[in-house]
Amino acid sequence: MGLRWFHYVLWGGLISGMFLLPQVVSNGTLRTMIFANYLAIFAISWDVLSGRTGYVSFGHPFLIGIGAYTTAILTKRFDVPVEISIPVAVVVTMIAGLLVLLPALRIRGSYFALVTLAFMELLYQLVQVIRPDLTGGTRGMSGIQTLTRGAANGYYLSTALMLSVAVSMWLLMKTRIGTALAAIGMNEESVRGSGLSTTRLKAFAFLTSALIAGLGGAFYVHYLGSLAPRALFDINFLFTIIVAALLGGTSTIIGPMIGAFFMTFLLEYLRPVLPGAERYFVYGAIALLLYMYQPKGLVELAQRGFQRLRKGGLA
Amino acid sequence: MTAALQVSGLVKRFGGLVATNDLSFSLQEGESLGLIGPNGAGKTTVFSQIMGELRQNSGTIELFGQEISGLSTPQRIRAGVSRTYQIPRPFGDMSVAENIRVGLMPDDIWRMIVSRPDTDREKELALSVGFSETDLGRSPAELAMGDLRKLEMARTMATAPRVMLLDEVFAGLTVGEIAQISDLIQSMRKDGMTFLIVSHDLPALEPLIDRAIAIERGTMIAEGSFSDVMNDTAVQASYLGGV
Repeated sequence: MGLRWFHYVLWGGLISGMFLLPQVVSNGTLRTMIFANYLAIFAISWDVLSGRTGYVSFGHPFLIGIGAYTTAILTKRFDVPVEISIPVAVVVTMIAGLLVLLPALRIRGSYFALVTLAFMELLYQLVQVIRPDLTGGTRGMSGIQTLTRGAANGYYLSTALMLSVAVSMWLLMKTRIGTALAAIGMNEESVRGSGLSTTRLKAFAFLTSALIAGLGGAFYVHYLGSLAPRALFDINFLFTIIVAALLGGTSTIIGPMIGAFFMTFLLEYLRPVLPGAERYFVYGAIALLLYMYQPKGLVELAQRGFQRLRKGGLA
Repeated sequence: MTAALQVSGLVKRFGGLVATNDLSFSLQEGESLGLIGPNGAGKTTVFSQIMGELRQNSGTIELFGQEISGLSTPQRIRAGVSRTYQIPRPFGDMSVAENIRVGLMPDDIWRMIVSRPDTDREKELALSVGFSETDLGRSPAELAMGDLRKLEMARTMATAPRVMLLDEVFAGLTVGEIAQISDLIQSMRKDGMTFLIVSHDLPALEPLIDRAIAIERGTMIAEGSFSDVMNDTAVQASYLGGV
């Protein structure tokens, strides 16, 4: 679990590579990568909670939505500067994260997943009917302040945000807290039997996950400049987040990142061939095959391949 | 002298079933007590109540004079009592060292983050239960039942208990593994550890305990030295089948 020199080399290489990318790729590709960056943030947020502790959230757009709506309403309706609205949005999302924690104190498994789904649906309905003058109702909001102009700047900002989240979460999960959260996912009773308060640990996981979701949701809405409830609370968006994390490999940080990029580019390149919802059938099939044959995801697959290569090289 | 563990008038009902019926016993510091009885006698239920995994309907549980009934399981462990389980419950995707690490963790998130794992202590605990250094990186899936019990012991010891409850510690073990675990318990007894041990393997249990209590349907039916309890007519007639 310790930090090794090659960890720094790999992260250094990744960060340098990502920041040099705008020099070599088109604006269209950069826009796709911006979405991949935000999807990676959401997938990491989901993974910190669900991948680690085993509390599978089917309602992550609830947290993302709280962050996005809070900053959008504050900036557009009350002219609050983004320097204030984004931190406020993150804090509000963390409070919402504690709301999601409450059922987790009593239930887990499929029941917990259903409750989180209910949270998402509840928020979807609420933003449509309660104070539509603030939320924009069913049509959502447009003309929200954007933080950057042009694909390259949007890419730099989203990349900086995604990498900050990824590196800080990776470092955090390398400490004993990462081990403790993973232990909850393996056997919660044994964690209690080891003298650790699982309530406190779960609260930490929920708050951290909400912090990332709120941050991602707030920055994403200030990138898009608009907010569409139908897209935000779409079941496909939810599944894209979950599948990205699972596909890449949970409890790894790098896994959800890889999964997010894989998913985004897969869906993007399938668009000309399959312009409709059939695209989701393809990624569903890929996800299914991977879970059947490599449930630990692409990272594990890559690690095994690397080990085989090394053994082959040594032989 | 204050008892290490004092259980008084413990009652636990599951609907109409009385699983623990006005049970009282005490355990002095450094003493080892055997808790025996047939399947379904309520031995594990007693353990679960002492650890706070089940709440008793009435009665008190004191640890070194402190009433612990109102404490959560982690708080009781911090107070000095820990248990092993009949079926070992390792963290399946972690190594032996990481399993022990969880037991060594402070119940404080900030300290978990800022302080490094005590790998020397992890190793020391692993070696003390009979693992070798090469076992530290092994996963529980690679371990035999005896090793899993040793791992459970090491993780329990990592919480620095003053009283240890061992539940069916010999179940599923080979003769060699039983000897290994017995040696470990004996050496811990010499170091002053207090034990409450449940086991169906009476010949293996006998040398490990100072005295025994026998329960049937949650009620104590005999108490005394191992031989006294085994020779008790109620014990022989009612549920040990004349052993």
